[in-house]
Amino acid sequence: MTATTETRIGQPYLAALRKKLPHAVLEERWQTDDQVTVTVKLGSLPEAVATLYYEHDGWLSTMVGNDERSLNGCFALYYVLSMEGAQKCHVIVHALVSADDLEFPSVTPKVPAAVWYEREVRDMFGLRPVGLPDERRLVLPDDWPDGLYPLRKDSMDYRFRPEPTADNETYKFVNDSKVETTVVPLGPLHITSDEPGHFRLFVDGETIVDADYRMFYVHRGMEKLAETRMGYNEVTFLADRVCGICGYAHSVAYASSVENALGIRVPDRAQAIRAILLETERMHSHLLNLGLVCHFTGFDTGFMQFFRVREKAMTLAEMLTGSRKTYAINLIGGVRRDILGEQRLTTLKLIGELRAEVKRLIDILVSTPNFEGRVKGVGLLDPQVARDYSPVGPVVRGSGHRRDTRADHAFAGYKLIDMPVHTQAGCDILSRTLVRIAEFFDSIAIIEKLLEDTPTGPILTEDFAYKPYKFALGYTEAPRGEDMHWSMTGDNQKLYRWRCRASTYNNWPVLRYMLRGNTVSDAPLIVGSIDPCYSCTDRVTIVDVNKARSKTIAYKEMERYCRERTDSPLK
Amino acid sequence: MLKLLREVFRTGEATHKYPFAPLEVAKDFRGKPEHNAVSCIACAACTIACPPNAISMETDVAAGTRTWSISYGRCIFCGRCEEACPTGAIALSPDFELAVARKEDLTKRAVFSLAACPSCGEPLAAAKEVAYVLDILTRSAASPEEAERARFLVSTCPACKRKHDVEQLARIGVERQMENR
Repeated sequence: MTATTETRIGQPYLAALRKKLPHAVLEERWQTDDQVTVTVKLGSLPEAVATLYYEHDGWLSTMVGNDERSLNGCFALYYVLSMEGAQKCHVIVHALVSADDLEFPSVTPKVPAAVWYEREVRDMFGLRPVGLPDERRLVLPDDWPDGLYPLRKDSMDYRFRPEPTADNETYKFVNDSKVETTVVPLGPLHITSDEPGHFRLFVDGETIVDADYRMFYVHRGMEKLAETRMGYNEVTFLADRVCGICGYAHSVAYASSVENALGIRVPDRAQAIRAILLETERMHSHLLNLGLVCHFTGFDTGFMQFFRVREKAMTLAEMLTGSRKTYAINLIGGVRRDILGEQRLTTLKLIGELRAEVKRLIDILVSTPNFEGRVKGVGLLDPQVARDYSPVGPVVRGSGHRRDTRADHAFAGYKLIDMPVHTQAGCDILSRTLVRIAEFFDSIAIIEKLLEDTPTGPILTEDFAYKPYKFALGYTEAPRGEDMHWSMTGDNQKLYRWRCRASTYNNWPVLRYMLRGNTVSDAPLIVGSIDPCYSCTDRVTIVDVNKARSKTIAYKEMERYCRERTDSPLK
Repeated sequence: MLKLLREVFRTGEATHKYPFAPLEVAKDFRGKPEHNAVSCIACAACTIACPPNAISMETDVAAGTRTWSISYGRCIFCGRCEEACPTGAIALSPDFELAVARKEDLTKRAVFSLAACPSCGEPLAAAKEVAYVLDILTRSAASPEEAERARFLVSTCPACKRKHDVEQLARIGVERQMENR
């Protein structure tokens, strides 16, 4: 916070920005040595974001809308760019939007990655992105009343549930195909994911020509809840529940955003413990995905075996945190539980067993004859599409981009180690799976390294005071990719604004391109390869537009078709 | 295929006998919080610490009671209550079997009586809380006078304390009040 100018990383980007847009930059504010918020004129916003994105190796990490009318009379937008060129840092492009006309120039035409964020800020704050090609609702349901913007400070109580204004869904699904297609809707309770989503596959025979989908059927209003009801420490437990698989990554990201904002120096030992637990979480998450890859390629014995071995990672979490899943270990300023000598020894023993057992299972998986045929060359994500949309995690690394928050912007205990980054050039499901396999073994090595020489000292600092209206980013590399949190403290022992962006949010927009050109039977496998959370409660509706008939089949049938690939349900 | 068969035979039986045999959990597993009403002083520290508001406290002035309650349906087993409790009255147990036949059975209550202000008779705080604080202060008091003063401060309600202060000030006299300025 109070760092000297010499240690600040990212100044060349600001110099380049000032040079290219001489009158646009109004102010720069440094939150940490590698985090800077640059205020630009609203009119130059798209140009500033595009310059950093395409000319200086920036990737769009998140965008935050904020109702700052009580502070400065305006709404604010913060476009968070992860700079991954010569200097690794975060540059946040900030602009104020007038509360009178509520309009801002859309960044999406220049940087496609901004599309979901701008649709969301339109829903939540009623700000109008002028020039946004896709003006459909993203987060709010179709039956939500017009003019009620949930995240505005004066709009509504977090418990309020407005009456629906329409009986049926009016969402328009986009089909870019030139040929005549059949529509295959999957969902609203969806294909392979816990989170219900409505998929529309536009197919020509068995081939997917285009796809569109609608998410946020179970939007839980967590940001509003945190801002209105909970204290700073309580939100760490709420963040634990953002995801049922990788919740701890969110908890760390949230805690570090507040710590960065207030300039809190978290003890090294706490940081190492956070990293150890993050890797524990990655192990069980990657084993889950590997198991599901087996399942969707029809290799159910492998699925059972991976889940059996995964139990060791769950036991490890239970021993270290007291709970198998929601670790509840973070507080602002550190962690609540230390790793004791006995636990250290048990951990080393367990991860040793995991390494040997998973190695054997991987050997079995890759030598299964059916496996490579089902995943190689399927669900291709073009590296240029990836560049345009800023996906994260194994999805982007499977398309050859070397992006890993642990290496690029070392946080928590990752500062203490050399972090290897694995990429694959195949761009297909196989590549993403291989990246996950490599990362699993990395996790074991990282835990071993951190347990070998864990820093000593306290695990929690309480030597700080909350100051109002301080803001900063906090980030982690969750198993599915970068989690990005942005917090602004308030003046009432509560957050003024908490923006939580889960990794899969950045991966959904590219899924459409991954589905194109593949067969319907590969769809569950492709959706599974971005590793959303799974559920088996779905039903699939098949609508043949040409023949004007519709047919509903159980999701089980769709899944069976994916695995066996005989007796197409489309016939 | 052979590798897989070998793996299957090597593993043997992977499942547990649970629920027909008890399932062992890790040491320090965070399960159902157990409340001990005997050591609880109804200070409400846990209700403030509880992130999901599973623990709450309700005061019934007419009946002169304060009711502490926990809803195991809302509990997230984080253990913040255990950390906040000054008397160790609530602690997480390894018990994870919480299913009940009726929803109401998920809520556990403890009723405490309120202490009245000796001056005005209005209810002030839980009697056990007042007694707990008084006990600490009288033990640490340097003199019997200080102990008596502590007793007055702890057991009197804020309104009566204010009234008392005003009366004290009025007794001092105008000149001295001006001097102190």
